[in-house]
Amino acid sequence: MEPDVSIESGCMIRVAVLPIGPIPQSKLRDYVSILVRHNKVELSAISSFYTEDQKSPFANQPWDTGSLRFKFNVGWSPLSPWEDFQSNRKILAVIGICDCPSSPDLDVVGEQFAVACKGYTSSLVQRCFAFCPGEDQLEDGGKKGNNLVLFPPADQQTQEFHLLTMMQDIAASLLMEFEKWVLRAESAGTILKTPLDSQTSLSSEEVIKAKKRRLGRAQKTIGDYCLLAGSPVDANAHYSTAIELARLTGDFFWYAGALEGSVCALLIDRMGEKDPVLEDEVKYRYNSVILHYRKAFMQDNAQRVSTLGFELEATLKLARFLCRAEHAKEVVELLMTAADGAKSLIDASDRLILYVEIARLFGTLGYQRKAAFFSRQVAQLYLQQDDCWAAISAMQVLAMTTKAYRVQSRATSSKSLSSSNENGLSHADIGKMQPQSVVSLFESQWSTLQMVVLREILLSSVRAGDPLAAWSAAARLLRSYYPLITPAGQSGLASALINSAERLPSGTRCADPALPFVRLHSFPLHPLQMDIVKRNPGREEWWLGSAPSGPFIYTPFSKGETIDSSKQEFVWIVGEPVQVLVELANPCGFDLMVESIYLSVHSGNFDAFPIHVSLPPNSAKVIPLSGMPTSVGPVTIPGCIVHCFGVITEHLFRDVDNLLLGAAQGLVLSDPFRSCGSPTLRNISVPNISVVPPLPLLVSHVVGGDGAAILYEGEIRDVCISLANAGSVPIEQAHISISGKNQDSVISIADETLQSSLPLKPGAEVTLPVTIRAWQLGLVDPDNAGGKSASGNVGRLSRDGSSPMMVIHYAGPSCESGDTTTSSSTVPPGRRLVVPLHVCVLHGLSFVKARLLSMEIPAHVSETLPKFVHKENSSTEEFAGSKTDCLVKIDPYRGSWGLRLLELELSNPTDVTFDISVSVQLESPKNDDNPTLIDRDAADFGYPKTRIDRDYSARVLIPLEHFKLPVLDGSYFMKDSQADDASNSKSSISEKNLKAELNASIKNLISRIKVKWQSGRNSAGELNIKDATQAALQSSVMDILLPDPLTFGFKLSKNDMGPKTQIDSPNESNSQVNYIACKGSISAHDMTPMEVLVRNNTKEKIQMNLSITCRDVAGENCIEGNKATVLWAGVLSGINLEVPPLGDIKHCFSLYFLVPGEYTLVAAALIDDADDILRARARTDSPDEPIFCRGPPFHVRVIGTA
Amino acid sequence: MASTACFIIVSRNDIPIYEAEVGSAVKKEEAAHQHQFILHAALDIVQDLAWTTSAMFLKAVDRFNDLVVSVYVTAGHTRLMLLHDSRNEDGIKSFFQEVHELYIKILLNPLYLPGSRITSSHFDTKVRALARKYL
Repeated sequence: MEPDVSIESGCMIRVAVLPIGPIPQSKLRDYVSILVRHNKVELSAISSFYTEDQKSPFANQPWDTGSLRFKFNVGWSPLSPWEDFQSNRKILAVIGICDCPSSPDLDVVGEQFAVACKGYTSSLVQRCFAFCPGEDQLEDGGKKGNNLVLFPPADQQTQEFHLLTMMQDIAASLLMEFEKWVLRAESAGTILKTPLDSQTSLSSEEVIKAKKRRLGRAQKTIGDYCLLAGSPVDANAHYSTAIELARLTGDFFWYAGALEGSVCALLIDRMGEKDPVLEDEVKYRYNSVILHYRKAFMQDNAQRVSTLGFELEATLKLARFLCRAEHAKEVVELLMTAADGAKSLIDASDRLILYVEIARLFGTLGYQRKAAFFSRQVAQLYLQQDDCWAAISAMQVLAMTTKAYRVQSRATSSKSLSSSNENGLSHADIGKMQPQSVVSLFESQWSTLQMVVLREILLSSVRAGDPLAAWSAAARLLRSYYPLITPAGQSGLASALINSAERLPSGTRCADPALPFVRLHSFPLHPLQMDIVKRNPGREEWWLGSAPSGPFIYTPFSKGETIDSSKQEFVWIVGEPVQVLVELANPCGFDLMVESIYLSVHSGNFDAFPIHVSLPPNSAKVIPLSGMPTSVGPVTIPGCIVHCFGVITEHLFRDVDNLLLGAAQGLVLSDPFRSCGSPTLRNISVPNISVVPPLPLLVSHVVGGDGAAILYEGEIRDVCISLANAGSVPIEQAHISISGKNQDSVISIADETLQSSLPLKPGAEVTLPVTIRAWQLGLVDPDNAGGKSASGNVGRLSRDGSSPMMVIHYAGPSCESGDTTTSSSTVPPGRRLVVPLHVCVLHGLSFVKARLLSMEIPAHVSETLPKFVHKENSSTEEFAGSKTDCLVKIDPYRGSWGLRLLELELSNPTDVTFDISVSVQLESPKNDDNPTLIDRDAADFGYPKTRIDRDYSARVLIPLEHFKLPVLDGSYFMKDSQADDASNSKSSISEKNLKAELNASIKNLISRIKVKWQSGRNSAGELNIKDATQAALQSSVMDILLPDPLTFGFKLSKNDMGPKTQIDSPNESNSQVNYIACKGSISAHDMTPMEVLVRNNTKEKIQMNLSITCRDVAGENCIEGNKATVLWAGVLSGINLEVPPLGDIKHCFSLYFLVPGEYTLVAAALIDDADDILRARARTDSPDEPIFCRGPPFHVRVIGTA
Repeated sequence: MASTACFIIVSRNDIPIYEAEVGSAVKKEEAAHQHQFILHAALDIVQDLAWTTSAMFLKAVDRFNDLVVSVYVTAGHTRLMLLHDSRNEDGIKSFFQEVHELYIKILLNPLYLPGSRITSSHFDTKVRALARKYL
């Protein structure tokens, strides 16, 4: 069988084109390509070369319209045993092609050509075309024989014209040769043999039969030559005769041949007509041809020689003739019949040709899958041959099937891909597609077939020695079908990839990506340090209003924008490195080494930095890919360039996105990321990225380490923050603000330092001190409190966002500083630097509780009243009347009424010791009118510092005695006095006012008490105890602040002291001599005169009813009752006295103690007609209630024997 | 029962959504590939033939060597294709009709996305039972 047969091939003159001498492949291809253009030579054009020696046998030759057709067989073609049967199978002409520069000696060329022509006995014309001869060759060539034709070097057009002329010459020569042959055959007859009948044993009967047949066969052959000569009418006449004769002699084979020739003649005659009648005629006749070829099939010699090839060729010819969509059914039937015949074909190459032709015809019909099927059959036949060339053919044939099986290499399908891109199937669109149309994206997923085809391509390209094709096939196989391949198979493919890559030059690129799968993970936003803020040129605070702000962290309105990913915009800055996170997955069972991976940027303004990654089996990894924009403009990132398995490939994000989408719908085998255990991601599309010119870049670090400053609660410390301009543009504006939690812990920022250093040149640095006071750890984060000492928690604490942040808005120069009319778009954006002031607050001293201690240390009754603390230097006179506050401040060690201490219980849960010092700010007693606060150190009061060791608690006492007001007067209850005769409602207001006053005074009091601590050398701070103190003092603040309206004091009357002591019995003197000797001691059985001093602390006159009681140690009243042990003289109860304002009054009495021991004297007074001030002081509202005022107890020690 | 039979359901998008080797012959992987190749190639013919007739059962539309492809096209243009070497046309027709009913039941499943792979093992069992019965 022969390839590429058609009904018209009966009229084609077969020409062998042979390269003579050495010719470079590319030149040969060029020469042949210009030669084969002349496959049809018009009869009208050759008349000038044609000389009619004798009367032409082609009587009806159409000189005006006809033409000679050529079929060029390049290279050596074997002689067909059937050339007598079909003359078009004969090589009728030989054209040699010679490249003169490669073959300098034309004599040798001539010899070689002559030798080559010897093989073609049937050839009638021989020519050798020598291209590009040199000067001497041209001279030399002129003398050579006619066969050598020199083509002088010339331009393409001239050369083609020259070649055309030569072809017309050849055509004319052939035509004349045909005439000669036909004339000879008509006159002398000719012996025509086919393999079919040459070997048959010639019985006499058969000899006679053969003689009869000879005429018909001759007629058929003459008809063939007529066809070749381009005279279909003559041919038809001869064929008709031949058909008749063959039918009569039962020569079915030749009958069919003649019939075939007649159809060809008919078609040539009616060239260009599309007539259904003609088509039917051709169909009818060819069916007859096929039938008769089948009849000629003889079972007995089927093994040796078979006419099946002719039958199949005839079938293919008819199919090719009919090969149009409207005859599809018939063509399919014909081709299926032909395919059935393949089994019976003996020769493998015949079967190959048959399948090739069937595939081509199906392809022409538009049945791509059928064509692919037969192409694959062809490839399998090729692969059965153990031969490199066959393997190359197989590979090429299989490459053609990839489109139908949808396993195209991207190199071949890139055009179709790009066109589908233009159709706008961006990812966002796919997301909105209906499920049905998503399905259509994954059309024809015949994975079994696809794998088989790819495996065959891999096999054939390995055999053919094409490592790139092998790599590509293995890559496609591995990437698309890894779930269907066993781990061993996967490793095999991996080694196939590596083996192929070894044979490729390094740096080879392949269009088909292998592993890993790469998808976009995220575009990290600018880190807070590099935030870009649009500048609002109209405002002084240009950063305001540029970013969406609102009270909501999540706003429903901005949500819509983020969903529409196409609107997402990114700004990158020239010269500043950026990062993109991508996720790699290796779903296969081997270790994957990615030699390098970097972002693929087609816009050319981006330097990507490659990195090396290794992926263990079945793993996914998120890696940052970084790069640096180099020039202003948009940046598009379609994917990554991956150098893996020795070949560089581009992995597009879009492909993986589509794959994942298909996997989500269950249409694709598997999701490589999910099989690697990676969580499903929202699909991320590449945002619009634009690159802007350089901006300043402020970089901060904390001097002394960027770690969190570890502070105890309340500690105050300076943190130095160093700011440097790392950009290439000076900073001209900067503004500092504080945000975040615990903003008030930042006490001060040296803003002026920053402002004075502007403009900050690139590379310049400025250091800002920031003073921070550590805040209190709230109870709301108990876990922080729990982890106070664990060092592992330090990082977490500083990260949990409780630290304040320093926000610096800064900007470079605006382009046109002088021109105010510039639009906002021309102003380069500013930036924002957020410096978190990492503070890790540890629990320091913890305050446990505060309480007010009030103690009454009874004073001893002596000759004098108790001395006052700050009156050491003054006269001993008790009532130095000018000093109004004498009675207020009393030495607590000598006894007092109402000594009050604030007790703070502190515990130290830390690892260090704390020193506590208390300081109280006092109003200077000298300047009452113009109070200035004097800070007195605790040392002034003689209080030592309190040290609290680790894990211990301690109590600190703060004396409150310095706060008493000297006089109880209306100024304190100012509002109260105004409300004297007001209604009840007003008094309720006054009540509130009272409370407010009270609180204010408490605050005032508290703010004057400072508890400072120090730990180690560096840490110092203040304890925040305000709330606790306030709570402790709330109830009894009046007692602290205000003096009692009346103060009472007892003393012995001086007058009678002398004689009394002398009466003491001598026996008592031995043990108690000190007491006796002591001034003011009291003996039993002795009348002791005493006086009580009552002082009025108010500015009003007080009427009162004084009474004095005396109690023994058991607390029994020992003046009254049955067992009174004390006798008295004078009045002790119901004494009506009137004390002038701020004055005092004495009342004298005498006591006679019967029993020695400790006694307590207490004076009490019932105030008559109390005014509102007193009432308020006593905290009573009802005007009827008597106000009782009790003095502090005085001790009396009575010595002597009972 | 036929010695070789390969049944396949091809969705309207030309994706095979169900495949089963239902022949009694010893299954070879190589053969299964070949069967699928033949069936895949036959789609071209079915594609044209389906519009020329109102019948769902297209009978034998294609053949390769000894294997014949019979096709049944549903109204939704899902193609039930059977590659077989037996000539029991009536049995094949019944087989197709019953599988069609099964397929409709699959389609009625609201969780089944038309055009995606049929993974129901119940369907598979039923189809194989039908193959034993009719082929």
